[in-house]
Amino acid sequence: MTSEASGEATTTSEAAARTADLGDRGGADPDIKRRKLHVLEQMANRGIFFFTAALVLIAALFIDGFASLENITDVFHRAAPIGIVAVGMTFVVISANYLDLSVVAQVATAAVVLIGVSNNSNIPMAIGLALLIALAYGIVNGVAVGVFKANAVIVTLSTTFIGLGLLRWASGGSIYFGPSDGPIRSFGTTEIGPFPLSMIVLVVIAIGLHFLLNRTTFGFLLKSYGSNRNATRLAGVNTALVVVGAFLISALGSTIGGFVLAAFSNTAVSAMSSGFDFEALAAIIVGGTSVFGGKGSVLRTLLGVVFVSVLTNIMVLSGLGFGYQQMAIGALIAAAVSVDALARRAAGK
Amino acid sequence: MVATGTWITQPVAFTSYQVTLGRIALVGLVALGLTAVILMGELDLSVASTLAVAGVVMASIDNLALGIIAALVVGLLIGAANAFLVVVVGINSFIATLGMLFLLRGLAFVISDEEPVRLSNIDAGISFGKPLIGEFTPRILLFIFTFIVMHLFLTRVRVGREFYAVGGNRQAARDAGIPVRRRIFTGFMISGLVAAGSGVINALERTAADPTAGSTVLLSSFAAAIVGGILLNGGRGSVFGTLLGATSLGILQVALTLSVVQVDVQNIIIGSVLFIAVISDPNSIRAVSGSVRSFLRGGSVLSKPSVDPKEATNNG
Repeated sequence: MTSEASGEATTTSEAAARTADLGDRGGADPDIKRRKLHVLEQMANRGIFFFTAALVLIAALFIDGFASLENITDVFHRAAPIGIVAVGMTFVVISANYLDLSVVAQVATAAVVLIGVSNNSNIPMAIGLALLIALAYGIVNGVAVGVFKANAVIVTLSTTFIGLGLLRWASGGSIYFGPSDGPIRSFGTTEIGPFPLSMIVLVVIAIGLHFLLNRTTFGFLLKSYGSNRNATRLAGVNTALVVVGAFLISALGSTIGGFVLAAFSNTAVSAMSSGFDFEALAAIIVGGTSVFGGKGSVLRTLLGVVFVSVLTNIMVLSGLGFGYQQMAIGALIAAAVSVDALARRAAGK
Repeated sequence: MVATGTWITQPVAFTSYQVTLGRIALVGLVALGLTAVILMGELDLSVASTLAVAGVVMASIDNLALGIIAALVVGLLIGAANAFLVVVVGINSFIATLGMLFLLRGLAFVISDEEPVRLSNIDAGISFGKPLIGEFTPRILLFIFTFIVMHLFLTRVRVGREFYAVGGNRQAARDAGIPVRRRIFTGFMISGLVAAGSGVINALERTAADPTAGSTVLLSSFAAAIVGGILLNGGRGSVFGTLLGATSLGILQVALTLSVVQVDVQNIIIGSVLFIAVISDPNSIRAVSGSVRSFLRGGSVLSKPSVDPKEATNNG
């Protein structure tokens, strides 16, 4: 049992290290001047690799029940929906628009629509409707921020309340249960080794978004907009489309995240996604995507998701309640952003 | 827009002005504190949790006076911590106070053991909810008092007037010799103190402190401040505007409640009001008219490639 358990942990950290390598290569700028990096910059750039590895190691060594196949599968099950939301939201953060608070409403809506509508008609109908709603979210948020130049935090705060209000009003706040067998249920329960199918979906989406960010004109313009929006606009770029695109990707990620969440629990209720906004943000920032915009990587967000999920899991296993978990994630956000801000100052930017 | 909304809803809300006043007071108080921060172009999202933490701190201390003092001190400390992150570390206030919002919500849960804390001195709470002078409960009197103090502070006191300068043009303010960092510290501490005060009032009236208190206050207080005409970029706005915003929102809310509109629908309406308010401030209008003009002049060259990958993800 013990030997098997420790073997499990090494595979996880190895996988994490491999993803990390990939992320670094994608995010590195070949033109950057070679110079001695400040210690804070090192921490902001590479810290996440060491912290994640250290956290997984500590958890495997000192936390009872962490390094069991059952627990690790459970961590993956819980990490997948937040991860899919986070990789999508990474685009909004890179565009220097802080975050998309409305993912809470979007995830819940997608979950309720998937289970509720597929119970009454069929699954393609449910997925189609949910994607239409995602399109609406992306366009409303994106136009308000990109065209009207409104503050993204306030805009998405208001769309969260509008969206959750509409969802509760339409669903009557009731809980929807999926059928005990069928495609949704089998998607949610299929596991390949320790990896649930949802985790594989997350990795595939992350790799796709990684290419979108690093190999396409859109990704290039997004980073450019995030680091200097006026210069990008003056270069003749239609910046509104870039912002709408970022919010559309976030909406798409939240919707797929909602599907995965609903499939895993086979239930859907409007309150099921509370806290997704902050956990996703924590994963993004801890991963090293800068809240100042312009700099970030999807694969690093993946690593951030591992970090946040393992941290939450450690707290749950140690019997620390909801309050402690919230405090930890809040402190994590504040600490990661502080390191980023101080590193920037040290670099003289 | 505000005036129209008020006029339409006034007949219904007028019959129960006492309830209306109470509603305005809680949201309005938080919004008044926010005004000080928003005037400088910063934002304090942590007010909702500050309210909860202050209430829980007060309720867990047996001595009422000591509890109130402790709660207010906690509010000041939270404000100072926010300002530290913004000014000294250099984090954008949206993100810094967002982290604090989460951290403090957790703290409220930890202190209260995830359950509402009963006030040990229930009599004080009950008498606090009763009208003191005429129809006015202490809550409303405190709101009016805070309003007057804030108004005088921002218009008559030099420190307060400098808030406008800091928000209008930070570099110019610095060059004019205004201690910008200290003003921002003051602003956040005012916001923290006022939010803590609202938490105390809330807990006193309910005779119990709920760690989840304040989650709806966040939306309403921002809506009140922004509907009241404060520019999020800073430098413009007044406590009168905030009062007007809080009043019209409070009346709207009470009118909706009286006409038996569900809470969900109320959230939709208030969310929409905030949404419209935030996209219709002068800067936004200027941005839109600018882009319409450039669009009419013949669009941009580079806009096409940015469409393709986006559509690709939508299909895939």
